[in-house]
Amino acid sequence: MWHIEPEKGPIYAQIAAEVKRMLARGELRPGEKLPSARALAEEARVNPNTVVHAYAELEREGITETRRGLGTFVREDVDVEAIRRRELEAAARGYLRAVLALGLGPDAAAKVLSEVSVDAG
Amino acid sequence: MLVEMSEVTRRFGGTVAVDGLTLALPEGEVVGLLGTNGAGKSTTLKLLAGLLYPDAGEGRLDGAPPRRARGAIAFLPERGQMYEWLDVKGAAGLFGTLYPDFRPERFHELLGQLEVPSRSLAQMSKGQRARFLLAATLARKARLYLLDEPLGGVDLITRDRILAALVSEWREDATYVLSTHEVAEAEGIFDRAVFMKEGRVVLSASAEELRERGQSVAQAFREVLA
Repeated sequence: MWHIEPEKGPIYAQIAAEVKRMLARGELRPGEKLPSARALAEEARVNPNTVVHAYAELEREGITETRRGLGTFVREDVDVEAIRRRELEAAARGYLRAVLALGLGPDAAAKVLSEVSVDAG
Repeated sequence: MLVEMSEVTRRFGGTVAVDGLTLALPEGEVVGLLGTNGAGKSTTLKLLAGLLYPDAGEGRLDGAPPRRARGAIAFLPERGQMYEWLDVKGAAGLFGTLYPDFRPERFHELLGQLEVPSRSLAQMSKGQRARFLLAATLARKARLYLLDEPLGGVDLITRDRILAALVSEWREDATYVLSTHEVAEAEGIFDRAVFMKEGRVVLSASAEELRERGQSVAQAFREVLA
């Protein structure tokens, strides 16, 4: 789950991004508790300071809150739809980049996407 | 700063192993001491441990010379010599006598976590011995942990277990310095990377800041030390 790639930027940002992806996929829900910084650090084999930094970043973005003595929780009022939309846009941009690199345009991209979707049922 | 070394030089005969090395490490950091073979990493760790004395300059742990602060330093040498007859029970007794900060319960927990079998050292594989000695080192409640190649010569699964054990042992009132050649595997646990070349520190940088600038610690290693 916590797959860290050090050549892809700071680890705290990768952890924060993964928490957002989990929210977007419904693997993590508003009100749920995140693992303790130590537990996540152990699982991902990263420095506990880095996880604390990731949680601070999520709190700054209004996604999580710290309850004294209890841990870090996803806020009840978090806008999951907005997070899901941003994930979708990021995925779409990635796909579009690959299409453009092939010398094709957005129309070809949309057409193939719908064809593949039909194939996938 | 918990650890300070200023202008430390150490020679062996005509060879300068550590050459005017200056280093300051705060509490709570996990520090990767990185460099190619012969860069002076082991000598630096022994100087920090108070097992070698500098020819010039000085090292300090919490303001005291390392040789007077040895009680607060847990050192895992690269090729640790240990009595072959020693088993878990014997080790707990021996280390408990040698080190007032040795925690026998923690030792047993770490042996479990690192999956070290209950037999004597003579009957253990290389990887099992390495984990046994690491467990004994981490079972001390030291201020400074010095680990010379704790990931050296062990298989991938063992390496993974050792990294997890290091993370679970981390305390913010202690400093951890580990030398390793397994930069890519270990870099996630470093707060700081200290790159050594020819007995000197060529770069000391926050691991996350390196990555922020688009370079993993492993990539920086290649760039700085090639």
